[in-house]
Amino acid sequence: MAEMNVPAGGGKKGHKKQRAKKMSTRVDLTAMVDLGFLLITFFMLATTFNKPKTMEVNKPAKDEKIKEEPPIKMSKTLSLMLSSRDNVFHYVSPDDIDANTELSVDSANYGAAGLRKVIQRRQAQVKAQWGDQDELFIMIKPLPKSKYKNIVDVLDEMNINGVKRYAILPPNDPIDSLIALRLGETRK
Amino acid sequence: MPKVKIPRKSTAIDMTAMCDVAFLLLTFFILTTRFRAAEVVQIDIPASTAQIPIPDNDIMMFNIAPDGKMFFGVDKQEVRLKILDKIEERYQLKFNNQQREAFRTLELWGMDVNQLSDFLSKEPNERAMVKQPGLKIDTTGGNQLEALILDARKADFDVHNNTLLRVAIKCDKTTEYKAFDKLIEALQNLKVNKFNLITSAKNSAE
Repeated sequence: MAEMNVPAGGGKKGHKKQRAKKMSTRVDLTAMVDLGFLLITFFMLATTFNKPKTMEVNKPAKDEKIKEEPPIKMSKTLSLMLSSRDNVFHYVSPDDIDANTELSVDSANYGAAGLRKVIQRRQAQVKAQWGDQDELFIMIKPLPKSKYKNIVDVLDEMNINGVKRYAILPPNDPIDSLIALRLGETRK
Repeated sequence: MPKVKIPRKSTAIDMTAMCDVAFLLLTFFILTTRFRAAEVVQIDIPASTAQIPIPDNDIMMFNIAPDGKMFFGVDKQEVRLKILDKIEERYQLKFNNQQREAFRTLELWGMDVNQLSDFLSKEPNERAMVKQPGLKIDTTGGNQLEALILDARKADFDVHNNTLLRVAIKCDKTTEYKAFDKLIEALQNLKVNKFNLITSAKNSAE
């Protein structure tokens, strides 16, 4: 700091006693502040500020999976098949399959305009047919070549749309194998 | 006209308050910082609308790289040491004190258990240079991944006397589902049916 200790007044010659100079107690803090901010900058950059979030997944226990549950009516379901091409194939399996059964499979992307619309439409259909949209059961069937991002997106959509019942299943249905075959993808 | 003399003022500012503030902030940052663990592989996590923050401790962490390589780590150092004990026992290996020390500070690792001894003998900077091949997951003749999960849970039980160890999975956006499924399969074989997928935050409109 530009503080100076100016000797007080012109010394008279007659003065004999030399008084001890009063030193200013002020310390130059500029450098210390500099250092402080430097360290702050370092710690700010080193901190991981926004903590990553987690998505909790509960899987049914393996052994007691199939025995306990009564079979779900296919007309309450929606199957989503995640392909390797960043899109999802969705279809509704009919209750019983015979020679005349027709099945329409459509694809959608993972955005708000794609999959979310599909789920919402299906929720409305289930509500109209069964009286409660929570009756909807979504079967998520990722093909082995689909990306991890896809499964996270789909699980996220379940959260967003409030789908209560869903499961991640291997694509083992005959219909699944048919679709996989058409896509030219392996199921295992 | 008489000249008006403006008295010269000192340009010095009192820095005390500023210094106080700086050090207050500094203290805050020092205390809140948790350093990012050195990454073995670069992992770009997907985004989701999930809001639950990742639990602070008692985590068994799996990282899966885009090419399907898997890495493993637990957060507590005493649990790590216990895991090493279990590995010694299971695979008839012997680790010396220096190797134990190295393992204690190892955040994440992924390699065949039999290579571990060599890897831990290396100097720390050498170790960082090694390209780790990922955990060995073979379905024939004992699955090292499953053994590791089991050991980690047992080790955690030995240390804390409870089973709080949670599974967190950090997986790259572009990892194929197949690799992820292998891990889930292993976890489920050991009756771990609950796990956390680590994602970054986004809002639902995107």
